[in-house]
Amino acid sequence: MTSPPMTTSQTVTLEVFRYHPDTDTEPSYQSYEVPYREEWVVLDALNWLKDEVDGTLSYRWSCRMGVCGSCGMMVNGYPRLTCNAFLREFLPGPIRVEPLRGFPVERDMVTVLDDFTEKLTDVKPWIIREVEKPVEEGEYLQSPSQLADFKQFSMCINCMLCYAACPVYEHEDDFLGPAAIALAQRYNLDSRDQGNEQRQELIWSDEGIWDCTFVGECSEVCPKHVDPAAAIQQAKVEATNSFFISLLPFTPPGMGR
Amino acid sequence: MPGPLPRTKSNAWWNRRWAYRIFLLREFSAVAVAVYVALLLVLVTQVRDGRGAFNDYLDLLESPLFWIIHLVLLGFVQLHTSTWFRAVPKSMRVKLGGRPVPPEAMLFGMYLLWAGASLVVLAAFLVDW
Repeated sequence: MTSPPMTTSQTVTLEVFRYHPDTDTEPSYQSYEVPYREEWVVLDALNWLKDEVDGTLSYRWSCRMGVCGSCGMMVNGYPRLTCNAFLREFLPGPIRVEPLRGFPVERDMVTVLDDFTEKLTDVKPWIIREVEKPVEEGEYLQSPSQLADFKQFSMCINCMLCYAACPVYEHEDDFLGPAAIALAQRYNLDSRDQGNEQRQELIWSDEGIWDCTFVGECSEVCPKHVDPAAAIQQAKVEATNSFFISLLPFTPPGMGR
Repeated sequence: MPGPLPRTKSNAWWNRRWAYRIFLLREFSAVAVAVYVALLLVLVTQVRDGRGAFNDYLDLLESPLFWIIHLVLLGFVQLHTSTWFRAVPKSMRVKLGGRPVPPEAMLFGMYLLWAGASLVVLAAFLVDW
């Protein structure tokens, strides 16, 4: 497939969020005219700006193919991976580019991720075994059906767009947030995992699933269709079932945890 | 040095986009359902107080103001129901024959039940017993 001819005369305006931690007390917006190319994404425009106009512009990016999850920013107020947000979607402009909402800003579009990484670690997003079997006994086998139970939730790339779309995360400092809970659910649903009880105390707490009011925008903005809102609602159902089962004087068959 | 810019919280978050506004309307729809239940409960108390009180209440409900109130409540109840339906495929993982049931099929089933129940109620209202 041949690319359409470039039209170098066309430009589009980028309004870019600027903040320098050494000199600024308030953020500001700087407007730039960037060349319009039909095949350019917002990240291409930012890279052109950094290379050709202003080398001080700061933002994260890596793979350019929607896999690494680094280049998430607010584009016209909506959380997007800038590597798959085409300029042509926002014509005639201007296109406002800001850091992801809900996070402190280190510089320009670079956010401070400590809160997310700490919360992610707290949910123990790895396979927990009560007793590891020796390597000689082989791998832990899993059927395609068992894989399908959690595969969707395993597609998370930690891009944090879901956090930027979540008004609860914006207002509740302790809320674990969509991706961390979705990843906890990913391991809870994994047939090889035995760590459900270790995660329960945090996941089933107020700062876990019960802070979520099911706005649902986390799932709408997710570039990998992980559907964290579904993970959280399913965990709510499990927690509720478990509570009522615990009130029974006996454990119904097949419902013991 | 000022350092990193602290995270900001805005009380105007709900006005940023339609999805948030509809979320607030969805939450408010529970109040509308409660108001409708209250109107029904008052109806029951009027039955207790005799035919005159009951007929007075029916006259009140047939006034233009209560027609408007009921239309608004009907809209909110529709929103309440449809948003609950949308929540079901998110919160339940249903499998049939080892395969997950698609969300669209679950939604179709619920709307079918809703339509069926509405027809039964309508029939009960229209049929001269």
